[in-house]
Amino acid sequence: MFKRWLLLFCASACAAAVFETVKPPGLDFLHQNSPTRQKYLVETMGGGVALLDYNNDGLLDVFLVNSGKIEDRPRAPETFARNDPRYWNRLFRQNPDGSFTDVTKQAGLAQAGEGNYGMGVAAADYDNDGYTDLFVTSLGKNVLYHNNGDGTFTDVTARAGVAGGGWSVSAGFFDYDNDGKLDLFVTRYMEWDTAHSKSCNEPIHMYCPPGEFPATTNLLYHNLGAGRFQDVSAKSGIAAIKGRALGVAFNDYDGDGFPDVFVANDGMEEFLFHNNGNGAFTEKALDAGVALSADGSPFSGMGVDFRDYDNDGRPDILVTDLARQTYALFHNEGHGTFQYQSLQAGLGAISSGSSGWGMRFEDFDNDGWKDLFVAQGHVMDNVEKVDPSLHWLEPPMLALNQHGHFERADAGFPTPVAGRGAAFGDINNDGWTDVLMSVLGGRPILFRNRGGTNHWLTITLRGTQSNRDGFGAIVKVNGQTQYAGAAGSYLSSSDKRVHFGLDQAAKADVEVQWPSGIDQKLTGVAVDRFLTIREPENKQ
Amino acid sequence: MIAVLWIWLAWQAAPNNELLQHVKAGMAARQAGNLKEAVAEFRKVTELAPTLPAAFVNLGAVELQDRDYAEATKALQRALQLQPDLTGAEQLLGYSLLAQGYAADALPHLEKAGDPGALGIAQEETGHFPDAIQNLSKALEQHPGDPDLLYYLGRASGLLSKQNFDTLLATQPDSARAHLAEAENLAVLRRVPEAEKEFQAALRLRPDLPGAHLELGKLYQTASDWTQAEREFRAAAQLEPGDAEAAYRLGSALLEEGKPKEARVALDRSNSLLPKMPETLYSLGQAASMEGDAAAAEQAWNEQLAVEDHTPLAKKAHFGLATLYRKQGKTAEAAKQMEEYRETSHP
Repeated sequence: MFKRWLLLFCASACAAAVFETVKPPGLDFLHQNSPTRQKYLVETMGGGVALLDYNNDGLLDVFLVNSGKIEDRPRAPETFARNDPRYWNRLFRQNPDGSFTDVTKQAGLAQAGEGNYGMGVAAADYDNDGYTDLFVTSLGKNVLYHNNGDGTFTDVTARAGVAGGGWSVSAGFFDYDNDGKLDLFVTRYMEWDTAHSKSCNEPIHMYCPPGEFPATTNLLYHNLGAGRFQDVSAKSGIAAIKGRALGVAFNDYDGDGFPDVFVANDGMEEFLFHNNGNGAFTEKALDAGVALSADGSPFSGMGVDFRDYDNDGRPDILVTDLARQTYALFHNEGHGTFQYQSLQAGLGAISSGSSGWGMRFEDFDNDGWKDLFVAQGHVMDNVEKVDPSLHWLEPPMLALNQHGHFERADAGFPTPVAGRGAAFGDINNDGWTDVLMSVLGGRPILFRNRGGTNHWLTITLRGTQSNRDGFGAIVKVNGQTQYAGAAGSYLSSSDKRVHFGLDQAAKADVEVQWPSGIDQKLTGVAVDRFLTIREPENKQ
Repeated sequence: MIAVLWIWLAWQAAPNNELLQHVKAGMAARQAGNLKEAVAEFRKVTELAPTLPAAFVNLGAVELQDRDYAEATKALQRALQLQPDLTGAEQLLGYSLLAQGYAADALPHLEKAGDPGALGIAQEETGHFPDAIQNLSKALEQHPGDPDLLYYLGRASGLLSKQNFDTLLATQPDSARAHLAEAENLAVLRRVPEAEKEFQAALRLRPDLPGAHLELGKLYQTASDWTQAEREFRAAAQLEPGDAEAAYRLGSALLEEGKPKEARVALDRSNSLLPKMPETLYSLGQAASMEGDAAAAEQAWNEQLAVEDHTPLAKKAHFGLATLYRKQGKTAEAAKQMEEYRETSHP
């Protein structure tokens, strides 16, 4: 009898954390943000991370974006020296035993980014050659690395025409015109450089709020093929409106077959660029109900995800922001409109005291409902001086999705840190999604999923008519919907495989709506496996 | 009063032409704003008539005007030596002493003069806060909106409050009220853990301590800990069922926790206890909207806007109405509300 009670008690109180944090041998990286007395805003914003399989060995590798050296000289332009190996971006190859090897030098990625302060990363096979390429954003010039397929990369930025300029932040590949070639969207934060920085909130010298600096435009590059891109920011209407963008995510919110773009802006109205299907976009956030919170207040949009959290088949939007604002969840009501649902979904109770960055809706317990992981920490490193109830360092947040309602769970890491980027993927190929979170000025933290008994299915898409990665495909499995892609979160790029938790289901019915318009259905698919689905050459 | 003294002085000095000339010259200089010259003339008057109290009053008045408080004090004290019942001199001497920071010395003169404003200020300066509050309030009735009086009344009230709390903490440091006072001080500084400790100490001693649960709930609200805030607001509402604020705060916490149905019950109660509070009406609209009760949301927000418009809270109501009308396909109404929303954004 006593044992029975103990078991009942433990079912709730002794539940093991979903994750355990591990330090895999060889994953040795220390992010260098070079905090200064000047309190340059850029130094609190960095930390991109990507999970990608660059050598197609079936194991996820890790790319970490470093920031750079700042000399901390008052009122002098900074050079952001990156020669010192401490400031390099790093590529870590995963070995079969789960350890990692730093292959930065041999991959041709060493000494990269000289003169630029590194921010984020996007990973995708932009030239459909079967190897995942890398795009690194910076304060300064962005860099596109072509994966040569032999373990090395080549800087093809100049030829591709994607260097950009200014302060680029998050980026993502998507095929906005469904022509089978991945295009590139780059968010830019503001018009800012060290020579035009400001001192704010004296006498307590703090990082300036974004409104102190002029807004700027985002960048859209159309993939022309043959390794070249065209800047269509103006032509497409993307540059018609200026913002202070940090995060970007893609999905087709109105089901018209063309991917739309949500841009998380900091301290102003958010942007929802509706894809008109003719190469042009129209900003519709206010009409769609996603520009502001329920009371009409702007919030500090940072990270973003654009996925269906309540399994109604329509993509919803979640934006992380600063403490006191509540992470903004916009539920897709259909007909092109959304409703602010943060409080109803339980996010008021668990997020209003926290500041969030990288995140994603992902089914961590494989129960068929997408949960939520958020990298957290306030933007101000001295925020406690102004408000002791706010915190510069915070532990990340894990919230489990109970049929559309989020409840806080043990993320397995109670230590407060300055979390920033977060990439999601099955690092040890056990069918349970792991998380790699970057830490500003610190070492990345790997959250390895402890797993469980629920079933799962992880799908690799192989586009033939569509882009090879299958980005933009809508994949439906047993009543759940996923949008294929690696973008979202903050500064980060996730595993491009599409993962489904299946609870107790022993079989899966799969439908793939490819960007090409081809619909593909598979029934009675065996579960607990990695499945590759190749796009048919012709419509079925 | 000074003018009357001058006339009286002129009449008294009528037989003495020289005296009269200096009086006239002093008056003219003062009117022209040449205060130094006026002082010199009136000083000659006191030399020519050293036993005439009014001569010293006039000299003191001009010196006071010239901000030469030390000399003004001397002249006015001399006047009162010569004639102790000069009320005007008492008042001027009180002003002069007060201006130099001798508030305690000024007190008897201002009491005799019966000037509640200056007396209140002197009492505030000397730590007689209850008397100061009484006199400053009386003076404010005579001079509504006077910034000096408002300032000193505010200061006296604050200092009286501090004095009482200091006494409480010094004499009854282990009482529930002392812990509550300490907790409230810490809460203002947003020192959440220390304040929480003090609130809990107060509640351990007196679980039904009025105000403690409400203030502790506000502390949890500051820290965005809505679960604990709800618990404390609920306790406050149960202990004091007639407290509209407790009911409103409970409703707000429930809203943050995504419990609009329960929130509406608490907010309705608050609204019945204290109707037409814009905050309550806005939250009621919010709760109704979250529950999908568009009619109730519309009614609450319109009631709120009837109470007050063009405020930050009204702006929120306009945005809520715009969202509601847009969902209902009422494009024109939605556009009108958005216009109001934007106008409030950019007044």
